[in-house]
Amino acid sequence: MSSKPAVAMKKMFFREAIALAVREEMRANPDILILGQDVGPFGGSYREFDGLFEEFGAQRVRDMPVAEAAMVGVGVGAAAAGLRPIVSITYMDFMMLGFDPLINYGAKLRYKTGGQLTAPVVVKTTAGAKGQGVAHSQCIEAWLMSVPGLRVVAAATPADAYGLMKTALRSDGPVVYVDHKRLFPVAGEVPVGGDAVPFGSAKICRPGSDLTITTHSFMVRTALEAAKLLEKDGVSAEVIDLRSLAPLDMKTIVESVGRTGRLLTLEEGQITTGVGAEVVTRVIEHLGPVQFTRVGALPAPISSNRILEAACLPDANRVAAAARLLQSPKKLVSSY
Amino acid sequence: MLYKISVPQVADVEEIRVLEWHREAGEAVEKGDLLVELETHKAIVEVRAGQKGYLRKILAESGNWQAIGLPLAVLSEGENDPVPEDAQALTDLPVDFEIT
Repeated sequence: MSSKPAVAMKKMFFREAIALAVREEMRANPDILILGQDVGPFGGSYREFDGLFEEFGAQRVRDMPVAEAAMVGVGVGAAAAGLRPIVSITYMDFMMLGFDPLINYGAKLRYKTGGQLTAPVVVKTTAGAKGQGVAHSQCIEAWLMSVPGLRVVAAATPADAYGLMKTALRSDGPVVYVDHKRLFPVAGEVPVGGDAVPFGSAKICRPGSDLTITTHSFMVRTALEAAKLLEKDGVSAEVIDLRSLAPLDMKTIVESVGRTGRLLTLEEGQITTGVGAEVVTRVIEHLGPVQFTRVGALPAPISSNRILEAACLPDANRVAAAARLLQSPKKLVSSY
Repeated sequence: MLYKISVPQVADVEEIRVLEWHREAGEAVEKGDLLVELETHKAIVEVRAGQKGYLRKILAESGNWQAIGLPLAVLSEGENDPVPEDAQALTDLPVDFEIT
């Protein structure tokens, strides 16, 4: 029996948690390489690959031209040939250019070859609004949840950024790893050397008894703020960080809504065919009718104007207001 | 008169890590002297003395974390002004800081 390495809690920035997970996995597996814009000497757009170029060199940490379709295509091809690339797409909006290789080839390779080939590529990308306007702000992770063969994860804390990246780099199929611009200033304790966070495992970040809020990524923080506001009104909100959007951890979600009887879904993206729409549908499939509401961005492009951007996005007050409406039975709950 | 030197307001940042102190507790400092370098998620913040005095007590050592607005050190005008236990109550000394 081999003894497990000791786990040491260490506080670090979100970006450092990503870099540490990648570093540890790259040391353990020489097939892992990084492809992306500014991933080399610059250390990543958010410095989330800091120090990796120095340690692993230009063979394994490769700066790429501004050509996302080519980057994802090279990544999927290299994965099919036996490597394990991380393809870094600075803005999730530009993942659209890489959908063909990712969705038509990467996600289908195992099926098409009867399991003979897999494409263990991790597309790591940054979603969310932070003053950069219509084409650099979007959260389109819900679009990807419906692709068979694709896994989609999103961390809200440095610990999960670390644990989910480790799992992503050990996975056999394509993984989309989504982080968020507003999470990069965040610091938190990371269990260095601890177990990787398995996919399909949500986390109850705040227990509650009156309603369940499911959310992911930066909106976990918004949900926790809203839960504090609701507590002042005597409403006890349970907050679930989904962490993994495909697969979804329906056991944790259904058990929670079974207890609270009410569900509020929260996402920064659009609610039309959004993450929340899928969560609500599956909960009702399991439990029958429950009171629910969905909160997300207003149906408008995200402006680079700060006031318009903020008006479009969910904040704690909007979430709390929607939750209060949900507490009144038989009231028609509007999503906006 | 005693002052506290706090983590300056840097846009988007909640918390910083103390990278390196350039002066030690007890040392006399001149206005503009580099006291400490702080690390944010993407930049280094150089904190300089806003006036001359004595760096009396360091409250967040290198490698430690501190939230925006919380004190890093105590500075006094007189060499032997007694330093109170609770630095939070002291007046904030405006700091010159530069983000690199």
